[in-house]
Amino acid sequence: VHPAQPVPGTAAPPAHGSTLPGPFAVGAYAAQLKARLQQFAGVQLIGEVWGVRSGRARVYFELRDSRGALPCSMWQNDFDALGVELRDGLRVVVGGGCDYYPGSSTSSPSFSFAVTELRPAGAGDLLAQLERLRRRLGDEGLFDIQKQLPRPVLPKTIGVVTGEQGKARDDVLAGLRRRGWAGRLVWAFAPVQDRHAAGRIAAALRELAAVPEVEVVIVARGGGSLADLFAFCDEALCRTVALLRVPVIASVGHHTDRTLIDDVAAVSCSTPTHAAEAAVRLDCRTARSELTGHAQRLRLHGHRAILVRARTLGHLARAPSQQVERQRRQLHQLLRELRASARRGVEQGRARAAKDLLVLQRTADRSRTAEREKRRRDLARLALALAAHDPERTLARGYALVEDGSGEPVSSAPAARTAGDLKVRFHDGAVAARVGEAEPA
Amino acid sequence: VTEPRTYESAVARIEVIIRRLDSGEAGLRETLDLVKEGRELVEYCAGELEAVSTGLQELRLDELVARLESAGSPS
Repeated sequence: VHPAQPVPGTAAPPAHGSTLPGPFAVGAYAAQLKARLQQFAGVQLIGEVWGVRSGRARVYFELRDSRGALPCSMWQNDFDALGVELRDGLRVVVGGGCDYYPGSSTSSPSFSFAVTELRPAGAGDLLAQLERLRRRLGDEGLFDIQKQLPRPVLPKTIGVVTGEQGKARDDVLAGLRRRGWAGRLVWAFAPVQDRHAAGRIAAALRELAAVPEVEVVIVARGGGSLADLFAFCDEALCRTVALLRVPVIASVGHHTDRTLIDDVAAVSCSTPTHAAEAAVRLDCRTARSELTGHAQRLRLHGHRAILVRARTLGHLARAPSQQVERQRRQLHQLLRELRASARRGVEQGRARAAKDLLVLQRTADRSRTAEREKRRRDLARLALALAAHDPERTLARGYALVEDGSGEPVSSAPAARTAGDLKVRFHDGAVAARVGEAEPA
Repeated sequence: VTEPRTYESAVARIEVIIRRLDSGEAGLRETLDLVKEGRELVEYCAGELEAVSTGLQELRLDELVARLESAGSPS
């Protein structure tokens, strides 16, 4: 704001040492400020009503959210015409623009947002506001920080933020029982739906995170309307969650609801029971049984390693004597084989000799037969030669053989005379004869 | 820099050790070292499980904070 002209009659020499223009009359400045603020475009704002009071002609209240607040004013008549009952914490949408009351020498100045329209915020307004905030937090990278935190599978101490009277408390206990988990649980009870809820929940989270033993925190709340759950969309709460040192597991509302704390938390679950199970990812009973199995296997391996090696060592210790015994057995075997081989050699020699003998005998037999044949042939030849001199053959030619009584040949006449009785043999028989007295002439 | 020991890292290491032992490739010295390491890890895990098996202990944050503050105060 810069007045175009110094206010007449108020001009003064420049202040010593200042380079700023002026001084100007404050009233003129305030009037120009009012004019400038009124040039701001008319808008709609959403926030919670706080500190409603009525003046002479106007109704005053503040519109707040977690990031800031604005003083608002509305003509009483306009407000009365709406028929809306304002109370602290009511979420409303107002329409209007900036205004400035410049005050006077006897009254104080004030700034306000001059409200011309007002209505309680509907679900659509809340969702639109939620989406804008979600986008902004997402752009800042706040949804990723929690998800990168290491999360123990078996925490020993768990913090829980929930309503003291709600069913969520029992559900968390049921989930932990289902896991067989019976460690240390730190309850941080907080209101979970009024307008103080967000701040109290954030404070509870900070305090739980300040306890070194707490390894994970569950934030649980049952179902409700979007307005009921709006505490869990509070920007300051979501920023607290995003920057917490421990992982936060959120279960807010039903599975169809999606609050901003679901986005910034490390894990978002549909029910408090599931949140408890996500906090203790291990089934303790199964883990115990598996660990027993591991221990048994290790014992077995340790035992086997010693036993097997001991056997091997024992075997190695016995090895020299076994080697000698083995060599002795081999030697005996060789000896037996040698003897058997010798026996087989003798037998074979004997068989060969018998065979040779047989061959010799057969050869000799064959020689003897040939000799016999030759002799037979010689004999036949001699027989033939002898037959040529046979007296029978001579008799056949007409000669006769004279024999005496004893069969002796009589080869002379005197012998014939002496013999008296003679036998004359022809080739075909013999006849008796007697030597006569007369002598042939 | 050694990572702080956790239940899951201990169990993962035990499983690696058992796989190695089951393979039968480890020599005597390695086997005995692995068995020793495995037994220590099993003991650690058993301790962790024991810590969440002794019975549910429920505390209220405000009481815990009050207790911690009184313990931390010089008087």
